[in-house]
Amino acid sequence: MNTRAKTGTQSSVPVQGGVGQALAHDSGHLHVSGGALYTDDIPEPRNLLHVAIGTSAHPHAKLKKVDLAPVLAAPGVVAVLGAEDIPGENNFGPVLADDPIFSPGLVQYVGQSIFAVAAHSYTEARRAARLAKIDYELLEPILDPEEAVRRQSFVLPTETISRGDSRKALRKALHHLQGKLKLGGQDQFYLEGHIAMAVPREDGDMLVYSSTQHPGEIQHKVAHALGKTSKDIVVECRRMGGAFGGKESQPALFACIAALVAQQTGCAAKVRLDRDDDMIMTGKRHDFVVGYEVGFDDEGRIQGIEFEYAARCGMSADLSGAVNDRTMFHSDNAYFLENVTIVSHRCKTHTVSNTAFRGFGGPQGMYAIEYVVDEIARYLKLDPLAVRKTNFYGTDDRNVTPYEQTIEDNILHELVAQLEASGDYAERRSDIAEFNAASRFLKRGIALTPVKFGISFTATHLNQAGALLHVYTDGTVHLNHGGTEMGQGLFTKVSQVVAEELQIDIDRIKITASDTSKVPNASATAASSGSDLNGKAAQLAARTVKDRLREFAAEHFAVSADAVEFRNNRVQAGKQTVSFTELVNLAFFARVSLSSTGFYRTPKIHYDRKTFSGRPFYYYAYGAAIAEVVVDTLTGEYRVIRVDILHDCGKSLNPAIDLGQVEGGFVQGMGWLTGEELWWNDKGELKTHAPSTYKIPVCSDLPVDFRVQLLESAANREETIHRSKAVGEPPLMLALCVFHALKDAVAAAADYRASPHLDAPATPEAVLRAVDELRARGTAQPERQTG
Amino acid sequence: MQDFSYQRPAALTAAIEAFEQAEDGRFLAGGQTLLPVMKHRLATPSDLIDLAGISDLEGISIAGSALSIGAMTTHARVASAAEVHDAIPALAKLAGCIGDPHVRNRGTLGGSIANNDPAADYPAAVAGLNATVYTDRRRIAGDDFFTGFFETALEEGELITRVEFPVAAAACYQKFDDPASGYAVVGVFVSRGSQGVRVAVTGATPCVFRMRDLEAALNRKFTPETVSGFCVPEEECNDDLHATAAYRSHLVGVMATRAVAAITDGEM
Repeated sequence: MNTRAKTGTQSSVPVQGGVGQALAHDSGHLHVSGGALYTDDIPEPRNLLHVAIGTSAHPHAKLKKVDLAPVLAAPGVVAVLGAEDIPGENNFGPVLADDPIFSPGLVQYVGQSIFAVAAHSYTEARRAARLAKIDYELLEPILDPEEAVRRQSFVLPTETISRGDSRKALRKALHHLQGKLKLGGQDQFYLEGHIAMAVPREDGDMLVYSSTQHPGEIQHKVAHALGKTSKDIVVECRRMGGAFGGKESQPALFACIAALVAQQTGCAAKVRLDRDDDMIMTGKRHDFVVGYEVGFDDEGRIQGIEFEYAARCGMSADLSGAVNDRTMFHSDNAYFLENVTIVSHRCKTHTVSNTAFRGFGGPQGMYAIEYVVDEIARYLKLDPLAVRKTNFYGTDDRNVTPYEQTIEDNILHELVAQLEASGDYAERRSDIAEFNAASRFLKRGIALTPVKFGISFTATHLNQAGALLHVYTDGTVHLNHGGTEMGQGLFTKVSQVVAEELQIDIDRIKITASDTSKVPNASATAASSGSDLNGKAAQLAARTVKDRLREFAAEHFAVSADAVEFRNNRVQAGKQTVSFTELVNLAFFARVSLSSTGFYRTPKIHYDRKTFSGRPFYYYAYGAAIAEVVVDTLTGEYRVIRVDILHDCGKSLNPAIDLGQVEGGFVQGMGWLTGEELWWNDKGELKTHAPSTYKIPVCSDLPVDFRVQLLESAANREETIHRSKAVGEPPLMLALCVFHALKDAVAAAADYRASPHLDAPATPEAVLRAVDELRARGTAQPERQTG
Repeated sequence: MQDFSYQRPAALTAAIEAFEQAEDGRFLAGGQTLLPVMKHRLATPSDLIDLAGISDLEGISIAGSALSIGAMTTHARVASAAEVHDAIPALAKLAGCIGDPHVRNRGTLGGSIANNDPAADYPAAVAGLNATVYTDRRRIAGDDFFTGFFETALEEGELITRVEFPVAAAACYQKFDDPASGYAVVGVFVSRGSQGVRVAVTGATPCVFRMRDLEAALNRKFTPETVSGFCVPEEECNDDLHATAAYRSHLVGVMATRAVAAITDGEM
């Protein structure tokens, strides 16, 4: 464990649980003992109804006739609801109104919600849902993004970012490459599936428990669906059992349905998806097809580059606009692209509407540029790392992104150099070449890839947060903020910030459920921004109370305010010292307010969506990783032998939690690029909708030798919360090194004479296909060996 | 849950009697396939007759030059039994790589071969070792037992009691397992005994089968190189979400080569 000594300003004993301490997750003991309450664990109200959703069996069809009489007649059924039963708006889409809660007559993916049935038991509801008699008029579906581009089927207009003259630069360049890449999507595979429970309150009000990253949006969507207003709806979420972006916009459907049933029946209602339905009904990471053209010089320096992205957005816009914007923003990753054109098609397909997933489009953009850089290196027979370095953003020049943000905090040169040395990159690369020359079937590969990830919501207005803090007369604190806990440790980190600010031990601080009636209008806990935004808001709330206490103490003890110091559960006022609790008590009797809100908005950012220019990101998080793999060229199977990671969390608020995020993000990224394969048949049905067919990485898939380090003494150059950096998403993209190490090993199968074509996910079958294809290009071993 | 009656007889005769009296009875062995199938309503028997109470159906013994394994013996027991390790280590290894620990502790030999899933492991051993399947009424040669996709030679109500595996001089099972389910994408069982070489392939096609042309070639020259001239044509292989037909066809060659190489090298 990488623990870092707390750097306090005083020589005194630090407060327990202040910032920088490697504390365990605040609910760790509850997670492992079963004591943590998830939405499904909340005691069920009397007469609770269980809800099942009737869904479309076809990817694109008109509903000619929907006969729900047999559903209503089924045992235990209390109510059946369809589109016509919605008193308000039939939409849960976060941006456009194109996501109906119940299909009003057109279905656009297999699994789309058509109606809901509420019954006394879960099983009765599920059984009844299957009894609907639905006549479909089948329409022709579009099932893949390339077909969508051909047919100009888009959920949103095509966007372009360009700088310089990429055409001219391509023409003039000494070398030229072009190609087409495919990369797959990914299911979020949170352990806790989607769930919502709606409890009617008096006078038409509704309390909704939802497993959601965005309680505020649930509040709005439920209000709109019920024909109510925000003041009538309260949404609460103590924690999620994982979310990964899959619970940003998607939970609204289930919360709306639960609330509609509760409104119509007057009974509490719960919607809980089983794993198959969850995977079929809800959106995933976008899969992409990417066309590229690049021109470069003898050293591999990119002179002109063009990308054309086609993303599978599915049947509606959802968050696809912002996701694809982020793909465009991260098409540079760590590299200066002087003459560049990036075209982004947001394809409408008759498949589930794809949504947020850790990285939010960034990983796909970085996949594309990293692939291209690797292609350049293999074409020029250079070490891919050398070509990467050649193209790195400069610190003083070559430091402006295609979207016109000047990079002021570039630490990649030092970070990569440090990792290159600590990870023995050069030595291992030559060992591997030696090994490969002597090994007929097993081939090793190595790659180092960098990550530069922009931190902030690209929609500037979302970069705000609120907190609410009460100090009770016994000196304990009730803390609430707009962020949500999904296992990432946000609540622990924010508590540490408050402990540090008030100089009280962290066990005096109670973390409470996210609740729209405590902190209003909160943004989704997304974009890695949870601690940055909510930490600052909570700090400001605590500071307000602390300033009042300071002012009171100065007056009470007749010293200047400067002479009042909060330190390790005590307050010193001149020569007198009282405990924090004593001061709080004195303040209470003097009628000082002990409660405050805090509000934070990220400074410096501005951005014009029309011109794709400005400063969308407050700062960047950096990291780099080296992977070494061994591939069996007879079957395509492989093992990740060793991984070295060096990641920048700024001055970490909690090195234990940050390390966990780095490890977890990396492994999840590895799953995306290697084993996790979404497989649809030609009827538009997803056939990988359970762990029996969809393989996420498990402990045994971890690198055999896994060395993860946080970058030391790396204070954020911006004034973020205690100079820390966001850590939720960036580490996912460190896993690109695994993909490129596999590509390197495949290249070794034909003695590095040509560059392999490898698509993601690089399943063993895909790796073998790449080996075969490479050898079939007429090089040394034209026939596949079977023995 | 659907309605059915559950019985747990203590003797074979009682089990058969219960089956005959049931309207639509099914024998329950380890339940690792039957119970999920029932949950999906793909089977709705009126009676489940649990064989777990019949001690005669469980156990491992050496009978002359053969290893006899009771139909209700779990994969975990086969994988860990000293008798199996001594007599046919490849069989122990096969049992030890079926599914996951849960499946191995519940699933049984009889249940596996009666079900004859195209991706199951045991059929490869039964065909690859020329085993004999004993039932309540007769004995069936391993070669005749598996008749097609989820089909066997078993008659209605016929109950497997045990399987006798002749002890081969050498044998090896090589499997490429599906990373998610643990089923065999392709599994090849090769044995070399007094009656010659056998090569049985599971996972690749709708039903386990023997590569008789390869067996003949290996009888002439038992080397890994011999395998390279033989393959299972792509057109005959399964093509689904787990793997393409081309990949399966290729894997048969790799797994067979590995099995022969392991036997040649004395590593089983």
